[in-house]
Amino acid sequence: MRRPTHTEARSARAAAGFLLPFLALFLLCFIAPIGYALYESLLRVERTGALGLGGETKEVWAGLYNYTHALEDDRFTAGFGRVLLFGAVQIPVMIVLATGLALLLEAASARWVGFFRTAFFLPYGVPGVIASILWGFLYVPGISPLVEMAHSAGWDVDFLGRSTVLWSIANIVTWQFTGYNMLVLIAQLKSVPGELYEAARIDGARAWQIAWHIKLPLIRPALVLTTVFSIIGTLQLFAEPKVLKPLSNSIDSGYTPNLAAYNEAFTSNNQHIAAAEAVLLALVACVLSFSFLRLVGQREPRGSKGKGGTSR
Amino acid sequence: MSKMHHHSSHGPLQAPGRRAVLGGAAAAAAGFALAGCGSDDGDDEPKGRKKGEKISLTFWSWVPGIDKPVDLWNSKNPEVQVKVEKVSAVDGAQYAKMHAAIKAGNPPDLGQIEYPVVPSFLIDNGLLDLTKYGVDKYKDKFVGWQWQQSVFGKAVYAVPQASGPMGLFIRQDLFDKWDIEPPTTWDEYEAAAKAIRKKGAWIETFSATNGNRFAGLAWQAGARWFGSEGDTWLVSIDDEPTRKVADYWEALVKQKLIKTIPDRQNAWYKDVQTGAMASWLGASWGDALLVGNAPKTSGKWRVVPMPQWKKGDGAFANWGGSTTAVFAKSKYPQDALKFAIWLNTDPESIKLLIDNGYGTPAAKQGYTTSQLDVHKDFMGGQEYSKVFDAASKGVDTSWRWGPATDTLYQRLGDAFTGALGDGGSFRSVLKKVQGETITDLKEKGLQVKAG
Repeated sequence: MRRPTHTEARSARAAAGFLLPFLALFLLCFIAPIGYALYESLLRVERTGALGLGGETKEVWAGLYNYTHALEDDRFTAGFGRVLLFGAVQIPVMIVLATGLALLLEAASARWVGFFRTAFFLPYGVPGVIASILWGFLYVPGISPLVEMAHSAGWDVDFLGRSTVLWSIANIVTWQFTGYNMLVLIAQLKSVPGELYEAARIDGARAWQIAWHIKLPLIRPALVLTTVFSIIGTLQLFAEPKVLKPLSNSIDSGYTPNLAAYNEAFTSNNQHIAAAEAVLLALVACVLSFSFLRLVGQREPRGSKGKGGTSR
Repeated sequence: MSKMHHHSSHGPLQAPGRRAVLGGAAAAAAGFALAGCGSDDGDDEPKGRKKGEKISLTFWSWVPGIDKPVDLWNSKNPEVQVKVEKVSAVDGAQYAKMHAAIKAGNPPDLGQIEYPVVPSFLIDNGLLDLTKYGVDKYKDKFVGWQWQQSVFGKAVYAVPQASGPMGLFIRQDLFDKWDIEPPTTWDEYEAAAKAIRKKGAWIETFSATNGNRFAGLAWQAGARWFGSEGDTWLVSIDDEPTRKVADYWEALVKQKLIKTIPDRQNAWYKDVQTGAMASWLGASWGDALLVGNAPKTSGKWRVVPMPQWKKGDGAFANWGGSTTAVFAKSKYPQDALKFAIWLNTDPESIKLLIDNGYGTPAAKQGYTTSQLDVHKDFMGGQEYSKVFDAASKGVDTSWRWGPATDTLYQRLGDAFTGALGDGGSFRSVLKKVQGETITDLKEKGLQVKAG
């Protein structure tokens, strides 16, 4: 063992000094809440006294009881099924739309690019709750001009019905996030060196060939990133169903896993089960995100990594 | 600081850099956050106020205009200032906030708590037993059954404020135009629903998520959802009277005689404004709600008694109504109780509360029934409070609430939502919710069995 020199020790202290604020915040705002949720999820409450009133309330070790309870709750598991279905439909639609818009706006012949880019991105600036309230007005019969118009055309739509409300929510989410994803994709498109297009054109490639064979493969990392974010976002669906719930007779308290956890914690006042549900939700999000990354990682064409490396 | 100078003078020629500055700011922020967390809750025993000491009590409420009587109290009691903090009453958000505050150890001194949810605060030891501070001597100032709603064992946990005896609001003009008699029994109600349907309108909606009103309907029919036997809670949501109610409303839904949209939201308000819904089974506080949301229908409404199961009966129920409770952590329980009693018994305070529409006072004295006819013009000159006053006297006062009513409402809402969606029977809803409620109470560490 070599004793650290004076300079080394000093720079280690300096490094620690720089790291400390980050670590403190990271521990306080990230690790501590997760640890607390894990801890809470392993406890349950026991009450004594007549009818549980005025007696002792104590938290006792529960093992995995809260987890089995959550997994045996139909509402909670049905919520998972619902968001998975939602994701399987909504994420591809949104990513395809965002990619299409990004390619259009980055096409050589595009006009008014600045205006359209801002216009498409604008919904992202509207908070989710506000967006849901706005769309709520467009969904509620008696107030919505859309329902009215459809009705006068002889088509009675119910945006808030049992079979439709999930897709009404998908519409809100798509409206909100397509522009954001588009912008991420545009940013990556911008980093593609112009020589590549030039070379392709000299080789006689048409615009759609450039898009398909050059642009899309090169923005692959951004596509993967936006998809992973969307998977996580979908699992965490909360604001939209929460806001639409009072308007619809088809949204129950466990409509999405997040809503179920929220209601356990704040309606039923059962933080321990809520904590277990939150942990399960995080686990599923982890598993899904990493399996997706693995899936696209395996399909990566051979040698592309090397090429990427040299071009940089 | 000196250290940083030292470092930068020796290191590569770079300014301390944005990162270090940001880091410093973040560290400062973290310091604040940490300091914020470390509140002192050293002694739990309330001290009480020293003579002449100026204190401030916080009061969480959502009642419109509650600040007016509070202002009056504040002008009369310079030493005990009460600060109202408005909380949202949408979807039980106020109780979520109160439960969270109790868990975090920093609840307000006073809170507005409805009768059905008082017990759910007790199992968290969230409320103060007021008998220690002499609440018993005020017992006779309040209507007996309302006082009783906050009594558990020998302890009294809240001061009653108001109740909501139920009644039927009808659009008299439409009933007249269509030549339909206001229903006095549930059979007549169904007949009226059919007649109104023929005119293209609806009599009402059955809102899946309104467990509160469904409880009122069961209450009227003679149900007893909760009871106790020794230390054990008894649950009987799937009892005969409730089944009767469930069958009745299921039949209305299946015959498409009634809407199934949620109540008290945009589409519902629209229906009330346009007359697409010709009546509303509401409660005494409902006048303010109609006036506020359908002002253009002024003069067209009347109130008739809640329909009966048997002609000529006088069975009524209660929907809503609340208390002023003192939280267990309050530092000044004596003053908080004094305020709670004043708020709910002082004639001037009651007058201000009535003017803002808070229901039927829990106090026996300090107002007259005619004083409650705040929106007489809206009801076409009817002295409608007499209807609610009579209903109040017919409320079955042996009804008790259980310790997890919020969860129960949610269970009912989910099960009715499911039944409306897949055509399941309302009886299956009761069976399901009965089972779930027993499990829920067990989860809370309570002893429970089917009643």
